[in-house]
Amino acid sequence: MIIAKQLVKKFNGQTVLDQLDLKVAQGDRIALIGANGAGKTTLIRSILGQYQIQGELKIFGKDPRKERVKVLEQLAFVPQHSPPFQMTVSELVNFSNGLSAQSSLRAIIEICSAMGLDIEAHFKKPFVKLSGGMQQKVLLSLALSKKPALLIMDEPAANLDPAGRKAFFHELSKLDEKTTIILSSHRVDEVLSLINRIVEMDCGKIVVDERIGRLSAANEQLSCHVELLEEHPSALKKLKEWDFKAIDGPLIYQGSIAGEDRLRFINSLSHYANYIKKLHIN
Amino acid sequence: MKALSSMIMTDIRETMRAKWFLLYCIMFGGAIILLFAFGITESQVLGFTGLTRLLITYIQLCIAVLPIFILISTVRSVVGDRESNILEYFLSMPISLGAYFWGKLLSKFVMVFLPILLALTGAVIWGTIQGLSIPWGLVSYYSMMLASVSWCFLGIGMLISSSVRQQEFALGLSFFIWLLLLLFIDIIMIGILMQRQFPESLVIGLALVNPVQVFRTGAILLFDPELSAIGPASYVILDFFGKTGYLIFAVVYPMVLGWFCSWVGFQVFKRGDLI
Repeated sequence: MIIAKQLVKKFNGQTVLDQLDLKVAQGDRIALIGANGAGKTTLIRSILGQYQIQGELKIFGKDPRKERVKVLEQLAFVPQHSPPFQMTVSELVNFSNGLSAQSSLRAIIEICSAMGLDIEAHFKKPFVKLSGGMQQKVLLSLALSKKPALLIMDEPAANLDPAGRKAFFHELSKLDEKTTIILSSHRVDEVLSLINRIVEMDCGKIVVDERIGRLSAANEQLSCHVELLEEHPSALKKLKEWDFKAIDGPLIYQGSIAGEDRLRFINSLSHYANYIKKLHIN
Repeated sequence: MKALSSMIMTDIRETMRAKWFLLYCIMFGGAIILLFAFGITESQVLGFTGLTRLLITYIQLCIAVLPIFILISTVRSVVGDRESNILEYFLSMPISLGAYFWGKLLSKFVMVFLPILLALTGAVIWGTIQGLSIPWGLVSYYSMMLASVSWCFLGIGMLISSSVRQQEFALGLSFFIWLLLLLFIDIIMIGILMQRQFPESLVIGLALVNPVQVFRTGAILLFDPELSAIGPASYVILDFFGKTGYLIFAVVYPMVLGWFCSWVGFQVFKRGDLI
């Protein structure tokens, strides 16, 4: 579905994508992670055909720059920052609907409703006057209603409240299994149940590319041993949430986790990295 | 075509909400009303009176204000969308670059020219009601000329907008270009001629490539066939073109220049990074 070979992108002499190689197959659900400036947004914009790049990039076998309309017809995008449209919500919905054969007003209303937004009540309001969370829900519903073959989202849940995030991830989980997803996010833990692959970028390169399913079988139980430097209350609370038991004093904990929860577990402990002396998973 | 029409309609709606458009309508629509209200149709200048007198005054006003108004409102089109993330979102949809760019340009043309056309139409209707004779030739030619000059400065504006990366720079550049074009209208050129620092052909050449000057000369030519108001340059212009030739040139040249600038702007837009 996506083949990127030796992609290079420079801005004012500074390399942002550095001979990047990536292959994405149909049905891949990728969490694209990395620090600010790692090149995530540049990669996404390159896939959308918005940048001139060196190297070879094919989306659905087509050059996203030369055949951008054909590529974009099968793709939906949710940006990190909502565009400040002065047009009303209704006009935006009609505009988006008019460009997609798959989308329908009913689908948009239903998806918004599932995320807790009565979009019809806001039809006459300028899009820019909606709250950040509402704007994000509208854009998400526009994207999901298109039933795209490739869905690209740049920090899609950043402006959503917890209930909205939960509803949004539930909507994503309802997508066809063949739908390929690229989801740029800082919070891998909350998207873990949706993804089957993690791609980490750093300095314009892919430094980690792992398939979650291959890493751990769903029914596998992993033994885990954690040694803390001090009795940090939040870290202790988190370990107890994972049903870990203290052994050999108040700083050493033992427990087991399901294989599929491995990344989620590590991520949840990462906030307390300064208080962890040893972490061992078998 | 669907994407193009969607872009045009969307941009027209956005323009109708913009404050500059309200000001623009008040200025160009209000000017006609004020000219009638102050009884300009009853005054006489160079032997002209009635609706002809009003149109001559109106076209002078347009020469002074229209180019800069169009430039200011247009230069922010692409660069503004780029800065505000609107372009990123628009161009993630199946909209061709041509539909986006030319859709913006066409919608701006409609929104810039329509108020002027309506103002002129209103003047004709009001003149008819008042029993004034309607100078149809003048009304038609001024309409074509205003359409041509609007297209010209829209093209220049779109070229600037697609070439620069910051709105402030785009606005600064549009002011600079406008001032540069104003500097080279006939008063300055006469000064240059008097000083004899440049050959006449260069000065006349500058007059013929400057769309503001071409617009102005064409407007003057209709009521001053000898072009006495613009000084010595008139002899060369009239000898070379003749009256009819220049009137055609004054409509065709700005249109061609507008097309050329917008085409270059489109090439710049589609060949570089889009956002």
